[in-house]
Amino acid sequence: MDRFGKVIFLSLAAALFMGAADLAAQRTVGIAMPTQSAQRWIQDGYYMKKILEERGCKVDLQYAEDNIDAQVAQIENMITKGDKVLVIAPVDDASLTNVLEKAHAAGLPVIAYDRLIRDSPWVDYYATFDNYKVGVLQGGYIVDKLGLKGGTGPFTIELFAGSPDDNNAGFNFRGAMSQLGPYIKNGKLVVRSGQTAFDKVAILRWDGATAQKRMDDILTSKYTDVRLDAVLSPYDGLSIGILSSLKSVGYGSEGESMPIVTGQDAELASVKSILAGEQTQTVFKDTRILARRAADMVDAIFSGKSAEVNDIQTYDNGKKVVPAYICEPVNVDAANYAAVLIDSGYYAADRLGK
Amino acid sequence: MSAIVRLIKSNIRQYGMIMVLACLMILFQALTQGIMFKPMNITNLVLQNSYVLILAIGMLLCIVTGNIDLSVGSVSAFVGAVAAVMMINFEMGVAPAILVALGIGAAVGAFQGLFIAFLRLPAIIVTLAGMLIFRGLTMVILKGQTKAPFAKSFQALAAGYLPGSEWRVDGLNVVALAVGIAASIILAFAMLHSRRVRLRHHFEPVPLWVDALKIAALVIAIDLLTYELACYDGIPVILVILTALILIYTFFAKRTIAGRHVYALGGNERAARLSGIKTDRVVFWVYVNMGVLAALAGLIVAGRLNAATPKAGVNFELDAIAACYIGGASASGGIGTVIGTIVGGCVMAVLNNGMSIIGVSVDWQQTIKGLVLLLAVWFDVFAKSRPQSR
Repeated sequence: MDRFGKVIFLSLAAALFMGAADLAAQRTVGIAMPTQSAQRWIQDGYYMKKILEERGCKVDLQYAEDNIDAQVAQIENMITKGDKVLVIAPVDDASLTNVLEKAHAAGLPVIAYDRLIRDSPWVDYYATFDNYKVGVLQGGYIVDKLGLKGGTGPFTIELFAGSPDDNNAGFNFRGAMSQLGPYIKNGKLVVRSGQTAFDKVAILRWDGATAQKRMDDILTSKYTDVRLDAVLSPYDGLSIGILSSLKSVGYGSEGESMPIVTGQDAELASVKSILAGEQTQTVFKDTRILARRAADMVDAIFSGKSAEVNDIQTYDNGKKVVPAYICEPVNVDAANYAAVLIDSGYYAADRLGK
Repeated sequence: MSAIVRLIKSNIRQYGMIMVLACLMILFQALTQGIMFKPMNITNLVLQNSYVLILAIGMLLCIVTGNIDLSVGSVSAFVGAVAAVMMINFEMGVAPAILVALGIGAAVGAFQGLFIAFLRLPAIIVTLAGMLIFRGLTMVILKGQTKAPFAKSFQALAAGYLPGSEWRVDGLNVVALAVGIAASIILAFAMLHSRRVRLRHHFEPVPLWVDALKIAALVIAIDLLTYELACYDGIPVILVILTALILIYTFFAKRTIAGRHVYALGGNERAARLSGIKTDRVVFWVYVNMGVLAALAGLIVAGRLNAATPKAGVNFELDAIAACYIGGASASGGIGTVIGTIVGGCVMAVLNNGMSIIGVSVDWQQTIKGLVLLLAVWFDVFAKSRPQSR
């Protein structure tokens, strides 16, 4: 065996016998996030890691690429590794019951992050934005912009909702319909596709391409001779698909302005789209605030105290009412983006091309 | 000495992969600072990968016939969804629901097999269609939502352990230890017996110490595994199912007429047909078999997640196919062993698990797994193309 080989062999052998002792002593937090294919989860993970590391924790951050099995395996591995607290944003909110059973058996507290984990008694805390409020902001924005309160109309509108297997999508849609519903009922808002029920307008996995297809189909079948005035879109990723569909039939070009299109998350591409006059609105959920709340919960758990919550009755996951901290979302459009996004330091001005 | 060289040469692919697997485990044991071989992690490895291995066994037979099945992930999800509706909505008993679900898997396999074997459509197209059809039907059945929870007895299929966990000596699960010892005794006797048979038939004998070494290695592997499992919750039910499948399919592939037909057909279809093998029927049954195994995998996934979801089983087909090729199956058909496939699947499993523990992100995990697949197949081609005379 040459010298190089020996060095490798010896270092491997040494590592083999070191054991897991040094890991066990640390305050390691396992963070399981759904996917790196959406900007917001990357930012969520980044901020939480940063905050927790500043507070002296070790962070084990893993993304599952929206694959349920991969996430379950990742959480199992976190338990094996000896992580001390789990922060989980589930890919699928009802598929973690067995693995949370294991976490409980290993004595790990669990914080559900942004999406509530359902059907498990072993969820200790829930940190989220008020998803009903997000819907209220989106629906309310459309009502304001169309001037429906002043008795204008009728206008045409089409509705989209988030993934049917995501607890938040339901809250969001109900929030939006709390604003739009009355006007749909009295005929001031007309849904020409006739699709107004959640299960008809929901887009599986929040997939922009699916939303684009659905918008294509509706435009070709219902809006060849009538203008579409507004689209309720629950999330920027869907709005981008919807906008492509609208552009393909001529909206946003000479003489034919874009309909009002809502969104959520203030993703970089969508903020640029708002500045370019395509998308109209988005809802900003400052992930730094949410990440800080989750980090506070982790801190409280490590110091043996109970964490600060502001809602102990709304979020029933089917097995228990999970104590939650609810953060407030904010409306963003071309008029206020600078104050909300740039002045707060969320985006640097040059990233928006300004 | 020449016998050993020949033995190694003729099995270089298989032994090579086993060595790779062993090296990987040791490497990750080091990189994860001792977590890889923790009893809990060994148990996790079994639970996390059993269904891919089950699919890989079925996939191997498809690949050996020179075909492929892209629909297995969708079929797994579909069967899981149907089982969920039967058990949760219609409150059907667990045992009858499992039987019906396996039957549905067979029907799905027969449906695809019909097009491939008798109507002679290319398997890749038929199963691509199947992949879309059954993913779509899964969403129809579940209406895009997740269905949960299942009965405890159903979850036990995927997440349960053999009974007797209360018998422990020094914290070790006695049942697991006993199974390990019994398995190693049976294995040693079986291998010695086959050695005696070979001698009786005047095959050129392998030196006794080579066989002894082989037996020792296997016995150590088995007892290490069962010891690790004994330190945790015992033997997972799924491991028993998986072992039974490995034994049955190895026997089928090596010792039965039908099994040899599958290989003959994959080696040279015309020759097989001219020598009287009903090749279309063989292909048909291979796909029925794949359907049943996909159904079984679907039930196990549903039991493990304790939920049937529209996105279950995505990319399973790719993991199963990769396991077969890494395990030495040939894309042109006719070549591949069950054991090789299991070893290939374990290589992927250890890679997955090890990288997840040291915190390699999923994007890099996929890249690395892709490269491993490429390397393995390249090695295969390279080993075959080398002149035999050297």
